[in-house]
Amino acid sequence: MKKTTKKLTIFFGIVCVLFTAASTCYSITFNDSRLVEPMDFSKYVFQVQDLPMLLSGIFLGLFVLYLFIQLIRAIVIKKFRESGVKSTRKLNPKLGLLGFCGFFGLMGFWTYSVDKTIFPFAFFMFFGFFGFFYEGKMSDTFMDERYLENKMKAHFTANKIALAIIFLAIVILGRGSLLGNLEYTLIALLIIISLSIALEVFLSEYLLYHYDHDKQNFQDEE
Amino acid sequence: MPDFECRLKKYRQLKEMTQEQLALEVGVRRETIMRLEKAQYNPSLKLAVDISRAVGAPIEEIFIFK
Repeated sequence: MKKTTKKLTIFFGIVCVLFTAASTCYSITFNDSRLVEPMDFSKYVFQVQDLPMLLSGIFLGLFVLYLFIQLIRAIVIKKFRESGVKSTRKLNPKLGLLGFCGFFGLMGFWTYSVDKTIFPFAFFMFFGFFGFFYEGKMSDTFMDERYLENKMKAHFTANKIALAIIFLAIVILGRGSLLGNLEYTLIALLIIISLSIALEVFLSEYLLYHYDHDKQNFQDEE
Repeated sequence: MPDFECRLKKYRQLKEMTQEQLALEVGVRRETIMRLEKAQYNPSLKLAVDISRAVGAPIEEIFIFK
């Protein structure tokens, strides 16, 4: 996105927000909070006083639509550029430390005991970020046919292992409740699926590094 | 492990090319050339043809399958 387009987008965003805030204040103060408070739209009759709220709603909607289109455009352009790239992305191996975020998954035990919330168990997926360590080591590597072949092999093996674990978990846990509690079964399944996804992400990077580097060390024979 | 003998090193040296130069010419990494010379990587047909052209020797002379 060009600098001027960026500035214009920010400017229109601010204008939209200010316009919405102003029309909301107007509606609350002078129009009995119409279109601000929940109302029955099946009996809605247009009034001229509703115009500021309607207009601000339309502008805000258009702006969100514009942002959405820009987002899709940026994704398509990025994909198009990446398809012409011949090297792996540049990444610092230290990003692998993000894998420790996987321990946030342990919060699930606490949240479950407090209010039966189980979604924090999904944070176990972040263990997969340990794969950044190996991806960082392969940073900016020229992707020749051997690299691509190894990459495919690594992804295939990692997928196979992760799917096998998930399949076994579903077969075992799907037979009945764990410790006589259906919720425990769901939690166990969520943990296993999260860990399997993490394993898949990590293994595909680790195996790629392993295949690309050594079974034995090569010496420069030049 | 591919079951073949690779005489790439011999033909490359005859042509007085380094691994780096050959890698650049055929569009792969030097590590791939090293693996090829040790017969530890089975190249695609395209790569084999490119290598054969680069070193100026027929494919069947460079890669000998047993």
